[in-house]
Amino acid sequence: MSSSSSSSTPVLFDGCSDMTWSPQDDPKPQNPYQGEFPETIEEYLHYGTMKCIAFNRKGTLLAAGCSNGSCIIWDFETRGFIKEFRDKDSTAPITSVSWSRYGHRLLASATDRSLTLWDVSTGEKIARITLQQTPLRASLQPGSPTPSICLACPLSSAPLLVDLNTGSTTVLPVSVSGNGNPPAPTPRNKFADGTPPFTPTAATFDKHGDLIYVGNSKGEILIIDSKSIQVHAVVPIPGGSVVKDIVLSRDGQYLLTNSNDRVIRVFRNILPVKGSGEEIRNISNNSNEYGSHYDKLKANGTSCLVLSCELLDAITKIQWKAPCFSGNGEWIVGASANKGEHRLQIWNQAGRLVKMLEGPKEALIDLAWHPVLPTITTVSVTGYVYIWAKEHVENWSAFAPDFVELEENEEYAEREDEFDLNPREEQAEEVAIDEDADVDIETCEKNTVFSDVEDSVDEICYLPAIPFPDSPDEQPEKCLGSSKLEDSNHSGSPSSMDAVQNGQAIPPASSPMEVDNSTAEDPEEGPNSKRKRRLSVKGLELQQSEKGKKGSTKNKSIGKSTKSSAKKMESANGNSSAFDDEATEDDEMNIDI
Amino acid sequence: MSQPPAPAPPYRPYRQVREATPHSRAVSCVRFSPCGRLLATASLDGTVALLSPSSLSVIAVLRGHSDGVSDLSWSTESYYLCSASDDRTIRIWDIRPVLAGGAQAAAADPGADRCIRVLKGHTNFVFSANFNPQTSSQIASGGFDCTVRIWDVKNGRCTRAIEAHSEPVTSVHFIRDGSIVVSGSHDGSCKIWDAKTGACLKTVIDEKKPAVSFSMFSPNGKFILVAMLDNSLKLCNFATGKFLKVYSGHVNRQYCIQSAFSVTNGKYIVSGSEDNCVYIWDLQGRNILQKLEGHTDTVISVSCHPTENKIASGGLDNDRTVRLWVQDS
Repeated sequence: MSSSSSSSTPVLFDGCSDMTWSPQDDPKPQNPYQGEFPETIEEYLHYGTMKCIAFNRKGTLLAAGCSNGSCIIWDFETRGFIKEFRDKDSTAPITSVSWSRYGHRLLASATDRSLTLWDVSTGEKIARITLQQTPLRASLQPGSPTPSICLACPLSSAPLLVDLNTGSTTVLPVSVSGNGNPPAPTPRNKFADGTPPFTPTAATFDKHGDLIYVGNSKGEILIIDSKSIQVHAVVPIPGGSVVKDIVLSRDGQYLLTNSNDRVIRVFRNILPVKGSGEEIRNISNNSNEYGSHYDKLKANGTSCLVLSCELLDAITKIQWKAPCFSGNGEWIVGASANKGEHRLQIWNQAGRLVKMLEGPKEALIDLAWHPVLPTITTVSVTGYVYIWAKEHVENWSAFAPDFVELEENEEYAEREDEFDLNPREEQAEEVAIDEDADVDIETCEKNTVFSDVEDSVDEICYLPAIPFPDSPDEQPEKCLGSSKLEDSNHSGSPSSMDAVQNGQAIPPASSPMEVDNSTAEDPEEGPNSKRKRRLSVKGLELQQSEKGKKGSTKNKSIGKSTKSSAKKMESANGNSSAFDDEATEDDEMNIDI
Repeated sequence: MSQPPAPAPPYRPYRQVREATPHSRAVSCVRFSPCGRLLATASLDGTVALLSPSSLSVIAVLRGHSDGVSDLSWSTESYYLCSASDDRTIRIWDIRPVLAGGAQAAAADPGADRCIRVLKGHTNFVFSANFNPQTSSQIASGGFDCTVRIWDVKNGRCTRAIEAHSEPVTSVHFIRDGSIVVSGSHDGSCKIWDAKTGACLKTVIDEKKPAVSFSMFSPNGKFILVAMLDNSLKLCNFATGKFLKVYSGHVNRQYCIQSAFSVTNGKYIVSGSEDNCVYIWDLQGRNILQKLEGHTDTVISVSCHPTENKIASGGLDNDRTVRLWVQDS
């Protein structure tokens, strides 16, 4: 029963994996173009100027690195700011953040060439190391719960393995010396669009940290044993162009490269996900009949990765930025690297473009797909994080179990006796419940999405929320919540979607505007920590123009605009003082951590 | 999971060991803390009391609500307690000083103001409140304004206000992983909500009558226990909407009586009753194992200790006692 659930159940049931009701309640056939991917900007996060982001393994926390050198953590469930890591010595912009496997540690790389390792629960700095070169990306070794080894990709030199405890570094090989090398790629590639003549290299660990995949400037993927630092295999990438990014899917089954020739290539990993190090050593030892070393490595490469598809925009030929896989590996997203453009393209594994998303006219600098949900977060050059999610479609049949939603009208043929006064009894078919069957109220199944975790691991999924005390003078004003609502009830905008959405007769006691109120309050949270449910007007227009065709979305956008007008109305009413108060309160909250 | 369950041990009866009257009016809710070191009780007199779970002596009294309190919920680490009140607010209390200081320190300053947040937004009595067991950063609440609300504990804001029912909401409860919420209402329905989006995922029960007076998830989140004002308590597979077990024999036509799962020894369902007794049913066999007599008014709330074989119960106005029952060893 869970066969279809992977694509239709966004809700995570810990312990209810056999109870995915969506499939059984939702008999609609799956349209390949209606997959589980984001459709619209649902909300944005704002705190300082964020530069890079990373989800923890379960997607419950989102870490972000800021331009002032601090790292922050958002609770992705409540979309609330939880924690800030700040080092007085380091005020340089963060270039990447990386979680340890079970969320205990967070690594940040910065433009002052530093790597800083934080203890997530205590907020203490565990280690800080300065490299020779600015690390553009650094990731902790996925194998250990408290890793001290990280893989850093500096601006213009080979990737390094850095031991954060000792500070020792190991430079990884980026090319294979070997006679019979294919002719070096035409240098044109390198300078094609005025990029400086450095040789960027990209590297990533495999799922368990046994191997490192390095993409080099010749357009090859080197597969390196992370223990012996020995190149075991080489996979030449068609096109032979500089590799800018190399990314592994969450399950370790796929690898993608983003090359300077504007093509994202997806490779299937045919090594076993677990024990890949062992396997590749075997392959390496068993292949001796090749003339040159390079030929041997290339032959080894064919038993490691298989090219499965190439993704490009044939018309505009844009460069890609921050490509990655969806949490389930079914989709690949790439962003346009053009300035002043926040555009995402989503492909399926067959290489077919399935979705294009367009955001505000701001360049995109980082992107992360939620490990479980069809949700993407993107970082804009303005420092905002946008959360793209599937548009919420009300499941009306959820309100009335005996109703079924239809895709289109159906001719209804009533039963012969349907309108008889005494219809023939057919109720007997009701499945009898065996009341004596034992029920189990205690044991929980493991969550299949994260089946790769040993139960004993103590994973940090949530950071304790420390409720910040109400400031005493704020309280009278907080009442505005209820008193004002009564007013807005009269001005009542009937199109308020949130209230109607739930399909209930709206009881007079509480006004539909109230819903708006609580959400509209959000943007006023404070000068430096913000979350907002919907886009700015500008973004709204964009969304609307893109989606105006669909009837259902139209309704929704009315709802949105009502929301923003509701907010305006509030400030026009002169209640902004309340927000000011709350803002100060939030300031304090940030310090409290 | 893999082995067949061991045969149930013979039932050992519970008996009353303590009784206390910490409140000046009806007791409305009793709740052991998840750490097992405190018993919180709420009352129509507007106070919340923290009692010793062994002696029932009052360790602290939490004052602040201007009207009766109907429900209590502990955060998972027992640091915070939230209370739902007829004064339309939910208060969050910081219990850490009480836990840290031990009984003496708290007793020295029993009236200290431990309220750290007041959640305002409900437009009528708040009848039920529940901490998200995963994050403790969310509270779900339901009330007489027929809404289910989701609150962000950290900043005290209402993040969702769901027009959930057409009659007062009698109970809200988070599933163990915090992803969904069940709500029951006087309108006779019981619905499942996505905690994140506020979307209705399922209407489990869709009757006009009888009113659903209480609903909660089983400890593993696979079932819901639903009480209805027709003297019945049902264990329901919420995915299919089918009732698996029906527990009856008690009297429940009027009040929203809070029941509990007891899992520390045998597996029982425990509930109060309007015939002044506490009923204990065998989870599997549905037979009444014991009727605990002692209260002199309706037993409105029961709670099972997280680790010991101990039940607390509270009675309405003619009784006002909190009683502690333990299983003979």
